[in-house]
Amino acid sequence: MPAIQDISTFHAVRETGLNKLVPPVPRVAIGMGTCGRGNGAEGLYHAFAEAIDRTGADVQLTGVGCFGACSEEPLVNIRLPGRALVVLRRAQANDAERILHDISMGQITPDLAYCRVDEWDHITAHVKYGPGYPELPSWNEVPFFKGQKKIVLRNCGFINPDDIEESIAVGGYEALYKVLIDGRPEIVIEQIKASKLRGRGGAGYLTGNKWEFLAKAKADQKYIICNADEGDPGAYMNRNEIESDPHSLLEGMIIGGYVMGATEGIIYVRAEYPLAVHRLKRAIEQATEYGMLGENILGRGFRFNIELVEGAGAFVCGEETALIASLEGQAGRPRPRPPFPAQKGLWGKPTNINNVETWYNIAPIVTKGPAWFTETGSAKSSGTKVFSLVGKVQNTGLVEMPLGTPLKNFIYDIGEGGVNGRTIKAVQTGGPSGGCIPQDMFDTPVDYESLGQLGSIMGSGGMVVMDEDNCMVDVARYFIEFTRSESCGKCVPCRVGLNQALRILNGFTEGTGPVDRLDVLDELSRMIRDCSLCGLGQTAPNPVLTTMRHFRHEFEDHVVAQRCRAGVCEELALSPCENSCPLHMNIPRFLQLYKEGRMEDAFEAVIMDNPLPSSTGRVCQHPCDNRCRRQTVDEAVNMREVHRLIADSILTSDRYEEMVGRIVARRFPPTGYKIAIAGAGPTGLTAAFYLAMLGHEVTVFDAKSEAGGMLRFALPDYRLPKSVLRREVELIERVGVQFVFNTRVGFDVPLNELDERFDAVFISIGTWKDSWVYLPGTELKGVHTALHVLESVAKKEEMPLGRRVAIIGGGNAAIDSARTALRRGSEVLILYRRERNDMPAIEEETEAAQQEGAKIEFLVAPHRIIGDAQGNVKAIEVVKTRLGEYDSSGRRKPVPTGEIRRFECDNVILAVGESFDLDFARASGLQMKESGTIEVDRFTLETSRSTFYAGGDVITGASNVSNAMGYGKKAARNIDERLMGVHRWTQLFPEFDYDQTPPEQPVESRRHTGHHVPVGARARSFDEVVLGLTAEEAHEEACRCLRCDIKSVNAG
Amino acid sequence: MKKVRLATVWLDGCSGCHMSLLDMDAGVIALAGQADIVYGPLVDAQEFPEEVDVTLVEGAVSSQDDVNRIQKIRARTRILVALGDCAVTSNVPSMRNSIPVNRLLQRVYVEGAQENKGLPVDGVPQLLKQACPVHDFVKVDLHVPGCPPSSQVILGVVSDVLAGRKPDLGSKARFG
Amino acid sequence: MPQRVLSIRIDGELVSTTEGKTILEAARASGKYIPTLCYLEGLSAVGACRLCIVQVAGIDRLLPACTTPVQNGMSVTTKSPKLAEYRRIAVELLLVERNHVCAVCVSNGHCELQAMACSLGVTHVRYPYDYPKLPVDMSHERFVLDQNRCILCTRCVRVCAEVEGAHVWEIISRGIQARLVSELNQAWGDAASCTNCGKCVQACPTGALSEKGHAVEEMVKRNDNISALAVWRGVEA
Repeated sequence: MPAIQDISTFHAVRETGLNKLVPPVPRVAIGMGTCGRGNGAEGLYHAFAEAIDRTGADVQLTGVGCFGACSEEPLVNIRLPGRALVVLRRAQANDAERILHDISMGQITPDLAYCRVDEWDHITAHVKYGPGYPELPSWNEVPFFKGQKKIVLRNCGFINPDDIEESIAVGGYEALYKVLIDGRPEIVIEQIKASKLRGRGGAGYLTGNKWEFLAKAKADQKYIICNADEGDPGAYMNRNEIESDPHSLLEGMIIGGYVMGATEGIIYVRAEYPLAVHRLKRAIEQATEYGMLGENILGRGFRFNIELVEGAGAFVCGEETALIASLEGQAGRPRPRPPFPAQKGLWGKPTNINNVETWYNIAPIVTKGPAWFTETGSAKSSGTKVFSLVGKVQNTGLVEMPLGTPLKNFIYDIGEGGVNGRTIKAVQTGGPSGGCIPQDMFDTPVDYESLGQLGSIMGSGGMVVMDEDNCMVDVARYFIEFTRSESCGKCVPCRVGLNQALRILNGFTEGTGPVDRLDVLDELSRMIRDCSLCGLGQTAPNPVLTTMRHFRHEFEDHVVAQRCRAGVCEELALSPCENSCPLHMNIPRFLQLYKEGRMEDAFEAVIMDNPLPSSTGRVCQHPCDNRCRRQTVDEAVNMREVHRLIADSILTSDRYEEMVGRIVARRFPPTGYKIAIAGAGPTGLTAAFYLAMLGHEVTVFDAKSEAGGMLRFALPDYRLPKSVLRREVELIERVGVQFVFNTRVGFDVPLNELDERFDAVFISIGTWKDSWVYLPGTELKGVHTALHVLESVAKKEEMPLGRRVAIIGGGNAAIDSARTALRRGSEVLILYRRERNDMPAIEEETEAAQQEGAKIEFLVAPHRIIGDAQGNVKAIEVVKTRLGEYDSSGRRKPVPTGEIRRFECDNVILAVGESFDLDFARASGLQMKESGTIEVDRFTLETSRSTFYAGGDVITGASNVSNAMGYGKKAARNIDERLMGVHRWTQLFPEFDYDQTPPEQPVESRRHTGHHVPVGARARSFDEVVLGLTAEEAHEEACRCLRCDIKSVNAG
Repeated sequence: MKKVRLATVWLDGCSGCHMSLLDMDAGVIALAGQADIVYGPLVDAQEFPEEVDVTLVEGAVSSQDDVNRIQKIRARTRILVALGDCAVTSNVPSMRNSIPVNRLLQRVYVEGAQENKGLPVDGVPQLLKQACPVHDFVKVDLHVPGCPPSSQVILGVVSDVLAGRKPDLGSKARFG
Repeated sequence: MPQRVLSIRIDGELVSTTEGKTILEAARASGKYIPTLCYLEGLSAVGACRLCIVQVAGIDRLLPACTTPVQNGMSVTTKSPKLAEYRRIAVELLLVERNHVCAVCVSNGHCELQAMACSLGVTHVRYPYDYPKLPVDMSHERFVLDQNRCILCTRCVRVCAEVEGAHVWEIISRGIQARLVSELNQAWGDAASCTNCGKCVQACPTGALSEKGHAVEEMVKRNDNISALAVWRGVEA
């Protein structure tokens, strides 16, 4: 092919290219980027080639770049003549044959079809691929692509990157031709300036200004450089751009060379990108052959050459002065600026450096004009940016979005939210130089200024999503470990400062860091940021500074309480299950003791960790399940059920007395201290048990007539038989706890009186005040709150319910009242304003309620309750909702649509949350939070009044039983330590010798679950519904434990 | 006026700082009028007393015994002064820090010994992995570097502390 | 061509200087002190130790005085509580990085790092010490390289390359692993390019490079000779 020297040859090449792109035969194009290859694209290609060879099918097979949807690789696009392009996903080699067969029948393999593309704006050209396949979603109807605007990635996944003719077919080199024909470089610079294009490497400097600077510099030789040293962990947008569409990069650089007066271009690309290097080499060869590079480009007398230099992979070489040093053959160490490269750059000559992605924006701006470009993006940040969306979201991949798009669109719309229903906590933008942005700031528009204000940066466009399983201290540690090892070592703050920062962070993750090191780290980070020589050091502390700013509580957890809530920092936890348990039960231990047949020891271990083991064994939300490592083999170990069996088999057997004796014997000698506890719910009972065991004299006050709180008066019998609870309370009494019932603290006994009579007071009352919704008709007869219904039933009081009961809410109280009403013979309709997945109720409970006949209407909000002439409830009207924007809980906000529906009913039960009556606490001078809860030190649970402590619902709002008990345990420990002045807590717990060998290669086995009584037998009965495991089943469960508590086989 | 209760402690150091303290000649007389030395190598007291106002600590923390002592001292002292480079930086004792303890003891007590080769076990406190500055273990209120700090610096510091002033060591005390 | 005279403000005081000078040069010429460690008159400036950081009005970042050229009307602040704190941290970081046991160092009492710590009021270090295990190179006939005292200021590297022209010294590795090495990372005694001139020893601010035969406190450096030498040789940076 002779070099193109005139426009008619150019057009002829374009026609040839188009004929390849939209040929008269079927075209099969495999996504062959590094990402596709990693998922088997090469095997797929060979399978196609082989099948085509064998069958002689008239099909054009080719390789293309990547279309962006990494989680759906390998992608294949197929076009039958005259019809739309269809993208197939997750195609495997053994699919090739049937895909070809379908093609021969004029069809697309339906189960692999992902989306279709009817026409495509290649920006510098427009291609109509064709109509068809209305049953398939158009590409921009797929959530992952919705809202994306592909300017930089305009050709990625469509053209064969190794073929310049296909590139020319979609408008490649047309902008260059235009610029050369116009011959007015200053106009192009004006265009770039007017477009407000900012450097895509991270700092966001205005490209037009930079270009003008170099264009004006007078020198015999100028250089322009493409920085393709993409080194951020998790960022691969430049790699994909080059691999999918190398010619658009060359075109941008040649235009840049022409308008800035440079004849030499250099692409500095990482050697770790072999495919990108290969594609670039090929592209440079072809561009030279076709007359786009070399002497007399496109016959217009301009000379320009591009050299490819492979960088050896030092992160710091992405910094422009270090990159230049590296090109000159020196060690990649930055030097201070000024002088800037535009004054004194490569070999001392004026030099312009732009990032890969910046170059991709040049041709579109030249072709379509700056006004078109600024239509996209925000006022100060125009155009689009390619992001690599990775981490804990369902859809991951390369995303090109208009700048200024709010973060939540990336995470919830494109990424479609957390994986397995996990809550997303933060997103890290800008790689190791960027910062973590917390979930409550996801409204932030992604542009240079907004991210900067939050202490983060745009960077090269990395976006790592983190959920509750990520520890932010560990995240900060990880990034500092990276930048520390990539520091060039020239300046002191970066070289030594980052090393010290890492040592301090390592200390935190091991729980050894002294508390004041938090401030030392903060100051050190600022010093590194403000004093370092180059961008690496100046931005390296960002992950620390932002995590310390937005997640300070996690740092404090590590340093003050030696806890890592996410369970990432292994030094701080016994095992993932222990770490997730609010009571921090030593779960592997009781499983092992049970496995060894030591029932008494197992019981002692359990009850000393958790004084209400039978109750929690039934109703705990079992967070341990979600953390169990057994899930990587098959399913989580059913720890709760084993624990229930251990507890039940002692509490309800003749060994009870003997075991009570054994526990009482563990009690510490009397200390003489008197402690009052307000509230005999799970929190108060737990605190009372431990404080009594520690030798204190404990009195528990409660407004009700019996101990147990919500367990006694809100949980229906079919979930927790009260006989079980009674045995547990009896044991707590036997270790010396005194109860005073029918006495409300703050009313019947004033706090001042408690203060006088007791050495410490612990407030742990429950959320007994119902929340009321302000709804027309709530004054009607037959409207109740859920707590009222549940408590009346628990007290065996009169609670008349009609034939049809409507329940508003989606939490456990709603489900409990539903199942209670069913047992009273009513028909039940639950009305919930969001979707099933959003329901806070325990999943198994909701399922059981539905099995028992409860109907649930989703996406409806109460509108009004309608009464009859006698003032009785007759019906409820609800308004249909649809899900709108994401709120700060990471769920979509229900928005009323205006459509009203009506349901006839005789009762309405409001299960919309609980609150409390804490006026007495406020009145007696305890400091309260805005939410109406009592303010405490979160590590010691001390209130603003000395010797007064608070824990459980009063400080968190309504929660669940194990959380509540966790606070009781923590309070006991802190009260004892404060009273005694020494740490005695750990001595309270028995130690056992048991086997410390981890299980050998585990084989897959089924998880045993409790046995549900058949619906027919249970639906009208208040007898317990879920029966426990058998002894054999429990033994099998215990054997399934992987013993994560054994840290190292060669420990010691 | 009630006399200030002053203690001095000698951890892993060469006693040079105590020598420098004694070197203040007539200054000692003025000090003696203001303070009682209630504990230290210079006086005969077995147990570190309760409620000490000022304690001067010489030496790095090198053994488990040093850790226990400094923690107890901290709990019983109002103002804790790290006196001299060993207490402030761990100085000469830290020169062993890059060598594993076993290797170190082996070299000294076995390979280097003329007679009675063998590691000492009985009645010897266990060495820490590294000798560390005092402030790695407990809060230090004042650091006085120097090897040793000159008697004039010590006198100035102690006089200031006894008088309830915060000494200004800028440009006066240097390492080494 | 006569150089243009510029006027700048240093800590509020008007100072007259010429185009092409750095802030540090302008300050020193007018008798104003800005702390430095890696800077040595007569050698090129690298801006590595960051002790000479100053605040220039209108610029967000702190700038090293030793490499930043003056501009007419520039207003420079060399002293502030923040700058003092940052300089203290820089010195603390240098002290924890290697094993600076002043008490037994040949340069005790004649060391720029030690003097800097003293003048900045660094009485202790708040960061965990590194205690790295580092070698001492005694292979040279006349000189010693003690890595324990090296602060990687590269004054030796520059004096050897820019004044002596021998290029014996170089820094290898990166980050906290960076080390000063002589000729292709072989023992100094085997470095054929070394002319034994000893300029590196005189340029060294600490006890990292010293003459053999000196005991503790005995190694006094004479690096004022170097700037004179540089001028004499016409290689002033």
